Amino acid sequence: MTTAAQSVTLKGLAQEEKTESQARIIFRRFRRHRLAVISLILVSLIFLVSLLAPVLTPFERDAIDLSSKSRPGPPGTIDMEGRTHYLGVDHLGRDLFTRVLYAARVSMSIAVLVVLISETFGALVGAIAGYYGGLVDLAISRVIEFMLTIPSLPLLLILSAIFLRSDTVLPLPGFLSRFLSALLLAPEREVQKVVMLVLVLVFFGWLSAARLMRGMALSLSKQDFVEALRAAGASDARIIFRHIIPNGIAPILVSASLALGGVIVTESALSFLGLGVQDPTPTWGNMLATSQSYMFQHPWLPLVPGVFLVIVSIGFNFIGDGLRDALDPRLKR
Amino acid sequence: MTNYLIRRIIQMMLVVLLAALFTYFLFNISPGGPLAGIQQQQQRLTREDLARLRAQYELDLYWPFRFSRWLIGLPNGPITIGGRDLFANTAVGCYLPRDEQIVIQDGQRVVTPAGCDQYVYLADIPELHPAIRSSNGILRGDFGRSTVIRTGQPVWGEMMTRLPATLELMLISTFLSFLIGIPIGIYSAIKQYSRFDYTFTTISFIGSAMPTFFFGLMLILVFTVFPNLLQDQFPWLPKLPPGSRLAVRPYAVAEWLPRVQPGTGMDRFLHLLMPVGVLTFFYMATWSRFVRSSMLEVMRQDYVRTARAKGLVEKVVIVKHALRNALIPFVTVAVLTIPGFFSGAIITETVFAWPGMGRLYYEALNRSDWPIALAFIFITAVLTVFATLLGDILYTVVDPRIKYT
Amino acid sequence: MKRFQLYTLIAILLLSVLALGACAQPTPQVVEVVKEVEKIVEKPVEVVKEVEKQVEVVKEVVKEVVQEVAVEDYTTPHPILSDVRVRQALAHCIDRDALIASVYPYVEEPDALLMDSFLPKSHWAYKGPYDYPWYDPEAGAALLDEAGWTLGGGSVRTNANGDVLALKFTTTTAQFRQTWSAVMVQNLAACGFQVLPNYAPASWWFGDTTGLSRRDFELGAFAWVGQVDPSGRTLYACDQVPLPSNNWEGQNYMGWCNEAASKAIVAANNTLIKDDRISNYDIVQKEFAADVVSIPVFQRAEAEAWSANLQGIRPDANEYATANLHEWTLADGGDTIVIGMTQEPDSMLSLVSSMAAQRLVDRPAKGTAVTTYDYDYQATLQDGLSTLESGLATNSTVQVKAGDMVYNASGDTVELAAGETLIDAAGNEVEYDGSSMVDMLQLVVTYKLKPYTWSDGVAGSVADMELGFNFDCDPESGATSFITCNAMLEKEFAADALEVTVTWAPGYQGTEYFVYPFNIYPAHQVLSDGRVLADVPAAEWVTLPEIVETPLSFGPYYITEWVKGQSITLAANPHWWGGAAATPNVIFVFLADTNQAVAQLINGDVDYLDDSTLGAGAEVQTVIDAANATGAVQYEISGSSTWEHIDINLFTK
Repeated sequence: MTTAAQSVTLKGLAQEEKTESQARIIFRRFRRHRLAVISLILVSLIFLVSLLAPVLTPFERDAIDLSSKSRPGPPGTIDMEGRTHYLGVDHLGRDLFTRVLYAARVSMSIAVLVVLISETFGALVGAIAGYYGGLVDLAISRVIEFMLTIPSLPLLLILSAIFLRSDTVLPLPGFLSRFLSALLLAPEREVQKVVMLVLVLVFFGWLSAARLMRGMALSLSKQDFVEALRAAGASDARIIFRHIIPNGIAPILVSASLALGGVIVTESALSFLGLGVQDPTPTWGNMLATSQSYMFQHPWLPLVPGVFLVIVSIGFNFIGDGLRDALDPRLKR
Repeated sequence: MTNYLIRRIIQMMLVVLLAALFTYFLFNISPGGPLAGIQQQQQRLTREDLARLRAQYELDLYWPFRFSRWLIGLPNGPITIGGRDLFANTAVGCYLPRDEQIVIQDGQRVVTPAGCDQYVYLADIPELHPAIRSSNGILRGDFGRSTVIRTGQPVWGEMMTRLPATLELMLISTFLSFLIGIPIGIYSAIKQYSRFDYTFTTISFIGSAMPTFFFGLMLILVFTVFPNLLQDQFPWLPKLPPGSRLAVRPYAVAEWLPRVQPGTGMDRFLHLLMPVGVLTFFYMATWSRFVRSSMLEVMRQDYVRTARAKGLVEKVVIVKHALRNALIPFVTVAVLTIPGFFSGAIITETVFAWPGMGRLYYEALNRSDWPIALAFIFITAVLTVFATLLGDILYTVVDPRIKYT
Repeated sequence: MKRFQLYTLIAILLLSVLALGACAQPTPQVVEVVKEVEKIVEKPVEVVKEVEKQVEVVKEVVKEVVQEVAVEDYTTPHPILSDVRVRQALAHCIDRDALIASVYPYVEEPDALLMDSFLPKSHWAYKGPYDYPWYDPEAGAALLDEAGWTLGGGSVRTNANGDVLALKFTTTTAQFRQTWSAVMVQNLAACGFQVLPNYAPASWWFGDTTGLSRRDFELGAFAWVGQVDPSGRTLYACDQVPLPSNNWEGQNYMGWCNEAASKAIVAANNTLIKDDRISNYDIVQKEFAADVVSIPVFQRAEAEAWSANLQGIRPDANEYATANLHEWTLADGGDTIVIGMTQEPDSMLSLVSSMAAQRLVDRPAKGTAVTTYDYDYQATLQDGLSTLESGLATNSTVQVKAGDMVYNASGDTVELAAGETLIDAAGNEVEYDGSSMVDMLQLVVTYKLKPYTWSDGVAGSVADMELGFNFDCDPESGATSFITCNAMLEKEFAADALEVTVTWAPGYQGTEYFVYPFNIYPAHQVLSDGRVLADVPAAEWVTLPEIVETPLSFGPYYITEWVKGQSITLAANPHWWGGAAATPNVIFVFLADTNQAVAQLINGDVDYLDDSTLGAGAEVQTVIDAANATGAVQYEISGSSTWEHIDINLFTK
């Protein structure tokens, strides 16, 4: 009994050491991609700053500065109480800096939520398909193929037209909606629409992860150690969650970080076509889209959210790039 | 291989049918529809007026029947076998629907459930939906008639007027993006982590991160609006036409250039500049990234290392061994751009008033012209499955190790 | 191990079943009609009747006894909004100047856009100013205190029961509505209202079984388009309140039933004497201001812009700009005017199209019988308006009895029978008893056209007029409403003149009776398949290129080419009855995006942008700046005939 326990702890220790060193290797490799490191710092910084949004700005998110007659107003506009709008005010007279900060929270949360849900779901579905093979695999692969066949942007437009129309369709559990409301610093009513958008984007988002994981699982399930585990009586769920998914997680991580940037851009495209998150909930995408009619007149108005959007999106891409290099076991540098 | 092809083609047909059914269903449940807002037009509409209007858009039929009429043109009346009409009295729709009504009678709430006051029977179809306005079915090559965008006109004709513009735009920008993107990708891979690599990686990430409408409007601002507003200070600045495919009358680009006549090569070129610029930038980013990573992948392979070890010149190694193998996945993915030649670029076409398919589709979606939107999705789906198949077949051609059975 | 697999499969199956189940509409009900099938095919109408009877039997009537006094939906007065003081306070608390400034920062005199009635100030039926509650937050606060809504410690008012003064505000997602409503919400918050805005997609808000048409709102904002004739009967009469029991007919979404106003609006729409109409509308407008059931926010601003090179534009709130296209000239002597539009016409058959873009092309390129400048009518092709004063129309008293065709009070032409509500010659609403004779007014009008020639050189004939009457009244034509057609009892075409005399149903007092009622089509036109237009069934017209793409014209221009998605080219009609157009060529180009249209105007690619293209958004500022900077562009901003308002629902479910 004791020996067994000892050996387990020993094994655990060994594993820990091994994983730790592996993490260190990955980190070392990642560090070599300078732009990825810079991006990581920048994106984290923007994220941290956005968390402090209510502290950093004296203005409320939707407060309209009724005093300023010029809407939109240029950077440096000063309101009745003598407070400065650092980035000016938008077409409604709302402080642009404040809204960009709040939008950072919403946009980045949307991106993270979409990616988190779709990659998790995709990985799970892919693992199940690959692990069981046979009928299950056939069914799932066909569904994936089917989804890939439907042109995605056209369908995305239809879906958002249907689901973003009303705020009463989705029965969200109270705690979730409260949590999201706190995360996005937005009233619970607005959270509904954000969740809708997330789900609409997830609808197409999980496909690539599922395909990746299916491939990995397919080859893993044929390997001896899985057979051994089965023979030892491990349950399917345990094998899938403890062995298949962890082993195939690397490419998923890479595709996830690349997808993060994509989601932000897609959201802005939907907004341009009038089908994204609606005002007054700010996202970089809808701020950019609503201010596009001011493009010729007040170019800074779209420029502010535009710059943030592009920087963060590029940042996510670089991080993905760096991760790819770092996680690739064949790359030994 | 033949067996494989047959199986694949059957699967493809199924997938396309399912996709069509799915989108048709989505349209059916989406809010609005072609009649939205009709009651806000400040005129008195009776129930009969509304019913007649609904029938004009075939909204009186239940959606599965509508779908089958759209797909195969049936049912178009009772089924006649041996001189007898069968199923003539089968209800296929509701001409006069009735909502749930709640009236108060003697202090009691009387609920009359929603229902139908007048059904549409198979026998009514020839009269309610005359052949001249009905579709023969998309499977029989009849894409039906537009309901809103081009009331009563054939969808096919409408799409064919848009196709040349989209083809022109997409082919040119795809070609250019290959031309620029592939060499950049290769060079970036060879010089991984060099300054060149970083620069172009950044540029290509900007390409894929910048929303196209934003980029497009920036171009219009810089090349059309500013030069016009700054005419007095900088009269030599050329003013590019901001959009459309062709001009309709002669115009001047800059005073040091002759006036451009509409329809000439110069006119076409000038109008293509900005939309092609935006799309090329966008696609180039994707392709150079793709080529770079597949190049890197190949250069790590044993046979490349062996070739290097054998002392072959680096150039030979790259061109003969690495490049050839790196382009295998590229070819198969490049095939997937084919559906795009048909479907165009929704946002770019809108921003630059390019009279292409993407704009048509977006307008159709916005104004609930379902026949046009469905035809668009159907054709795109067909092209997508064929492109996928083509990609898979090409794979076996470029990489003989792979065989399908 | 197999179990997990099995569960997964079951889950997938269940999901797909669920999805399909959600899709499934109530399955088509097959009603068994035991009858010989051949017969049914012969007489489908009979079958339908037969079935109706059976459905009647099948119809399930669920009676549920409700403990409290059962009420129909939307007959319970709204706990907050049924109090007129609260409604007045609402109006007092909204700073409409600020609302206008928020959406139209470039409008220098916002007062010109303010409304105190449902008619713009320049309308002939407007006799204001009316005593509408203006911006006065203190007065608003006082009214609320009086009504029992007091400010406790917080910023939101509550009443004695602790109910919060919270109201739902519904409107569309349109950027510009969100803009002014954001300011409004802040205005109202300052007064102690808590307003919860709900920006719903237009497809839901204006859907035919959702939103507005089901009165699913407390405060709801949308726009009406003002017309030459103020009509308003369906908007403000008591019997026009949409309710479940009347199948949601009518447009009185507020549920406003003011005896005096209702009577006056009915009367105003049942007389042809302008002074009577004006005085009746005056009553309605006074009651409208007193009851505050709908807050007119402002007239929308509209901007149109043109290059400084273009001359002869005649901006008008009601008439389309291109109605005088034949007078437009280019100062530099150019022979081609280019007009940019964001929308493209759907069909040149104006009967089936309601787009502004279509009208802009249609009016010069097909011709008009009348124009509608300054909220009034001017005859063009019509040979003088057929008014009572001109002698071309008579409105005489006739006696009607059971069995006669009459135009009843609700606007349908029916065979007179007992129980029918009529409006008699004295203007009173009477219920017909089934036997007596009733005096009613009957219009007989003669419509004349000037001699004209089609753009193919063939002279117009009375057959063209006849074809118009027949086609526009054909149920297969695609027209939306046939009220006018049904009210026409007899029509008599002159044999040798461009003249028709119409006998309208007794009781029909169409306020626009003097305007030539239908379109004119070239009866002689031979189609590509050899048929003559007059012989083609109405259902086919919408598919004929000769009608929907390049129709013949009796106007100053005709369409020579329509490149789909790009442009429509017009050339001057050499046979136009009015002489020759000042500029021989006009091209309409379609530009999709407003920014694009403005860029093309600034770049000189287009000469004119109409108000439906330029709108009143941020792009207008670009045009104004360009005009100030280079002088190459000119613009005009005016109040349009469209006005934004907030309807207040007096009732709740």
